[in-house]
Amino acid sequence: MSAKTPLSVEEREVAATKAHATYSGGLWPWVFKIAILGVLDAGALYAALVLLNENSWGALAAVVIGTAILNIIFIPPNRFLPAKYLAPGLVFLLIFQVLAIIYTTYIAFTNQSDGHILNRDDAIAAVMAQKVERVPDSPSYKSAVAEKDGQLWLIVIDPATKATSAGSNDTPLAEVTGVELSATGAPKAAEGFTVLSFADVVKRTQEVTALRVPITDDPNDGYLSTTTGTSAFIFRSTITYDSAKNAMVGSDGTIFPDGGRGSFLNPDGTELTPGWKVGIGFENFTKAFTDKAIAQPLMRVMAWTFAFAILSVLTTFALGLFLAIMFNEPRMRGQKWYRVAMILPYAFPGFLSGLVWAGLFNQEFGFINQILLNGAAIPWLTDPWLGKLAILIVNLWLGFPYMFLVATGALQSIPDEALEAAKVDGASPWQTFMQIKLPLLMIPLAPLLISSFAFNFNNFNLIYMLTRGGPQFADTALNVGSTDILISMVYKVAGFDGGRHDFGLASALSIIVFLIVGSISYLGFRQTKTLENLA
Amino acid sequence: MSTQPTTFTAHDGTVQELPAQPRMGFAKWLGVIGWRHLIGIIAVVFSAFPLVYVVSASLNPSGTLTGSNQLFSEVSIDAYKNLFKDPSRPYGQWYINTLIIAGVTAVSTVFLGAIAAFAFSRMRFKGRRMGLMSLLLVQMFPQLLAVVAIFLLLTWIGDIFPILGIGSRLALILVYLGGALGVNTYLMYGFFNTVPSSLDEAAKVDGAGHARIFFTIILRLVAPILAVVGLLSFIGSFNEYVIASVVVGNSADTQTLAIGLFQYVSSETNSNWVIFSAGAVLAALPPMALFIWLQKYIVAGLTAGAVK
Amino acid sequence: MIQRALKLSAALGVAALALTACGSSDTATTTPTNSATTAASAATSAADAGSITVWVDANREPVLKPIAATFKADTGVTVNLVVKDFGKIADDFIAQAPTGKGPDAVITAHDGTGRLVESGVVAPLELGDVTAQMQEIAINAFTYNGKVYGVPYALENIALLRNTDLAPTAPKTYDEMITMGKAAKTKYSFLIGLDPKSADPYHTYPFQASFGAPVFESDASGYTTKLGMGGDNGATFAKWLAAQGKAGIFNLNITGDIAKDQFTKKQSPFFITGPWNLEAIQKAGINYSIDPIPSAGGEAATPFVGVQGFMMSAQSKNPVATQSFLVDYLSTEAVQTALFEAGDRAPANKAAFEAAKTNKDVAAFGAVGAAGVPMPNVPAMGTVWADWGATQVQIISGKASDPAAAWAKMVTTIQGKIK
Repeated sequence: MSAKTPLSVEEREVAATKAHATYSGGLWPWVFKIAILGVLDAGALYAALVLLNENSWGALAAVVIGTAILNIIFIPPNRFLPAKYLAPGLVFLLIFQVLAIIYTTYIAFTNQSDGHILNRDDAIAAVMAQKVERVPDSPSYKSAVAEKDGQLWLIVIDPATKATSAGSNDTPLAEVTGVELSATGAPKAAEGFTVLSFADVVKRTQEVTALRVPITDDPNDGYLSTTTGTSAFIFRSTITYDSAKNAMVGSDGTIFPDGGRGSFLNPDGTELTPGWKVGIGFENFTKAFTDKAIAQPLMRVMAWTFAFAILSVLTTFALGLFLAIMFNEPRMRGQKWYRVAMILPYAFPGFLSGLVWAGLFNQEFGFINQILLNGAAIPWLTDPWLGKLAILIVNLWLGFPYMFLVATGALQSIPDEALEAAKVDGASPWQTFMQIKLPLLMIPLAPLLISSFAFNFNNFNLIYMLTRGGPQFADTALNVGSTDILISMVYKVAGFDGGRHDFGLASALSIIVFLIVGSISYLGFRQTKTLENLA
Repeated sequence: MSTQPTTFTAHDGTVQELPAQPRMGFAKWLGVIGWRHLIGIIAVVFSAFPLVYVVSASLNPSGTLTGSNQLFSEVSIDAYKNLFKDPSRPYGQWYINTLIIAGVTAVSTVFLGAIAAFAFSRMRFKGRRMGLMSLLLVQMFPQLLAVVAIFLLLTWIGDIFPILGIGSRLALILVYLGGALGVNTYLMYGFFNTVPSSLDEAAKVDGAGHARIFFTIILRLVAPILAVVGLLSFIGSFNEYVIASVVVGNSADTQTLAIGLFQYVSSETNSNWVIFSAGAVLAALPPMALFIWLQKYIVAGLTAGAVK
Repeated sequence: MIQRALKLSAALGVAALALTACGSSDTATTTPTNSATTAASAATSAADAGSITVWVDANREPVLKPIAATFKADTGVTVNLVVKDFGKIADDFIAQAPTGKGPDAVITAHDGTGRLVESGVVAPLELGDVTAQMQEIAINAFTYNGKVYGVPYALENIALLRNTDLAPTAPKTYDEMITMGKAAKTKYSFLIGLDPKSADPYHTYPFQASFGAPVFESDASGYTTKLGMGGDNGATFAKWLAAQGKAGIFNLNITGDIAKDQFTKKQSPFFITGPWNLEAIQKAGINYSIDPIPSAGGEAATPFVGVQGFMMSAQSKNPVATQSFLVDYLSTEAVQTALFEAGDRAPANKAAFEAAKTNKDVAAFGAVGAAGVPMPNVPAMGTVWADWGATQVQIISGKASDPAAAWAKMVTTIQGKIK
């Protein structure tokens, strides 16, 4: 009787109090615990030292505090019991899931997108590198990097005159003699110089790439620089960064000011690429609500998203539960093998299944139309309504094994007494199911149905593999169609289907989608009996 | 409710009686068992027929995946042989990697989820209700950008502990364990609640502590749900592609089956559906073998009645 | 700020590891015993001079391995070849390069050049004399704003495959091809792989070009971002496309997979495809010829030429070694010939291409490609594909009652997104 329903609050409280009262005892578990904590602390100590060395104070504090908390939880016996049991899983959850959320939130407030992914320093360097130009029609020189008087020099051979010259950052190119050539015609040795081997060039990459030998005293003539050590070219900078002006300055004096939005601006107001990532406040969020292209198809997409998620849960659950109950009959032979077949759709890689189903649904050549329906020409994937149906069918196929599994598991928790009692009362199987089995099953399963709803709400892969959201709405500017759900629309709006990837906008939209599905699920949870028991 | 031993015998009795029952008449058999077979066969066809294509494609040397409805028109096992012949695509190594990664993840997930569920089910503490709900809500966050965050994170961890950086299979397991709580905990929590606390109490009277109660009493009684969660977790990480490709995708030797196989078909101009299908067919075997093995635990309660 | 937070968690990760040591300690021992790096050749005498990481696809990796070993022997620099899924390289690279932890170089297709350059993740290369050794179209493909960003190694394009038993002569125009196809009395007069979701503008482009409707207008320095496919020419093409759809010649349900299957079963004399399907066609014992794509609109039916090559990261810590490996080693005739043998794609190196021409298929595809145009490498091209394909679906399926209007709307939409 008491076991029919989950434990009452009192019962469990008693259990917990009793557990507090006695130490779980045993020397070996204690040794084991201390050993693990020891390894943990040793690792933390090492990490702390590394971080100390790097002066990463924030991270250092985090390591120390985190380790301290774990020690406080685990060292004293019989204290913080719930924390002892929850901490291991929570640590992983915090690191790998919560941080991904925090990161997404952070990106949502930036303009991170193609063209704005670097930090400012890297962007400046990239702009300058892209604007360095090779002096037109200048030859390429065989070269070598050499050392003299503690400075790096570049020795080059003029391809036309075969004259050898050398120069350094401070010394414009001047002719030198006594250069010995290698088989490939590159300088191998020179009087007064120590020619660097390639390995040394690579080791001193920073210095070598910074080596710019002026051709003459006039900087506009350009400078010689080597890209690989063995060949050198005459380059000319067309733009440099002026930190005093906080702007890029062209060689002709043009000023490219910092526009304040993560890029320098050309005189005509367009962006000088690449730019960098900056915070832009709530702009991505306001864009989500004010952009007409998004607002226009939004209601239709939203409606289908809900319909899709709810119907997916209902159909998969109904089929999974039905099959679970049906095979839950000890007298049936071979049920083991039926069960294995039920798992098949789950065991294959999802995208492969998606491709196979797309083929099966092909209007002219697909197995469904050609063989099952005897040559019918049903436009499964290209009609707005049939497309939706096809998606639900495929999702039923993909999703029922999961429901079958959890329902089979949950069925084991139903006390036989309850069913026996019903049988004695002469209840029909249907009555038994509706009045006893289903309510009991719903206790562990209702939360799973809600999370299944949330999963399908974000089930991007299925939509993308099967219909890519099509057929397209004829009356919107966006490439959005009648089988698109919110998350696949986000994907398209943010340019992930081939346009300019806008990570900031995608993050902001993800957060909005999360707020929607999260609040609905929250309300759903409050309705379930499981949580009432928790109060 | 009665004490355990009586329930055991009572149920054992009923179960053992079953085979000894007089033969059913055909009509009765049809009503009780037969229709189940009929539905079972329909369900098997529904489950299996899309995959017949994959098997057929894997055996057809010149085949396409969906180009033809003439299944099994040509049969050759060359693709299965070729799978193991390409040293730059070490299928065997992928197989081992995947088995280890999915296996360790599954075992650890069951453990982490079970201890958390035990705490939620048997202990009272502040924030329990919110905690349980938050676990589920966290997993509803759209993961569009999760891989970027995970890449950055592992890069930093790798600077301190190279063994846990990008490219480490151990790191991939840790990332998967980030999802160990959540739905799994919930599923177990519901099941734990059906185990009567009278058992805990009896043990406590005998002087058992919380750890012993958990490991020696509760865990055995909730075996079905442990098996279900283990299987779900195993299959989930077995077929996971997105995170795996970022974490261990950088070297042929560390890749998993999902990443490795996908390279066979990732571009139209370079696809080899035959070998890919063969690889996928072989890859589907471990999850099924695991299921066959776990099945007796999943449905154990049914025949033994041990839980109640 | 986020950096701190993430580091914090890094530290906690250690804690987590230790706590679960009971569950996962076995795995620590499974870390690779064999290093992924290329074994240095026995002759290695050069000092260890650091390493560079190059992302390659699975097909190219075996070819590059010995070259990496040679490079190590010559220079002491280790080249770590990392096998990645080709289709994901550009996206992963753009995500990882800014962290400073990305690769030093990647193998990629040229059409992403503009996007990578404008994001600042690739560095310009100075090819020097190598430029002259490469096919001009290959260099142009990797040129953006007047600078070269890649060392090309292979070209590929589509052409018309003809079953010579079913159609003995090459058609001059599209209409002639259809007439010949009908005369062959096969199930289909002509095959082109499309897709019910997104058609396939890449495969239909030669016909579009033959109407004088290129994707972007060009000026002296290459493609602009102004669409060239609108106007009267675009409208004529749209109507033509609708007519082909209506006649059932262009059939969205015939996917690339189905088209290949049907061609190998001799169900059609003609098939528009690239070199990647040759193997299956040879296996099926089809006698084929590779012909230029016939014009439908009067002008030349020029296919897109895709070029693959190596690009260097702007964040490379070792630019000299990387540049040297790319420019001095990967561009050579010997290497490009080896790459050709691994992938059957026409080499970008002229001498290697000439040598590869002894293979008549390469010569024939190359001849068609020589008349082609490089696929645009401006970032705006990425924006074009989705709408372009979706509109072709509408037109071919007959859902767009006025093809010319649907086309014009598409041009406006795309141009609006690019701006």
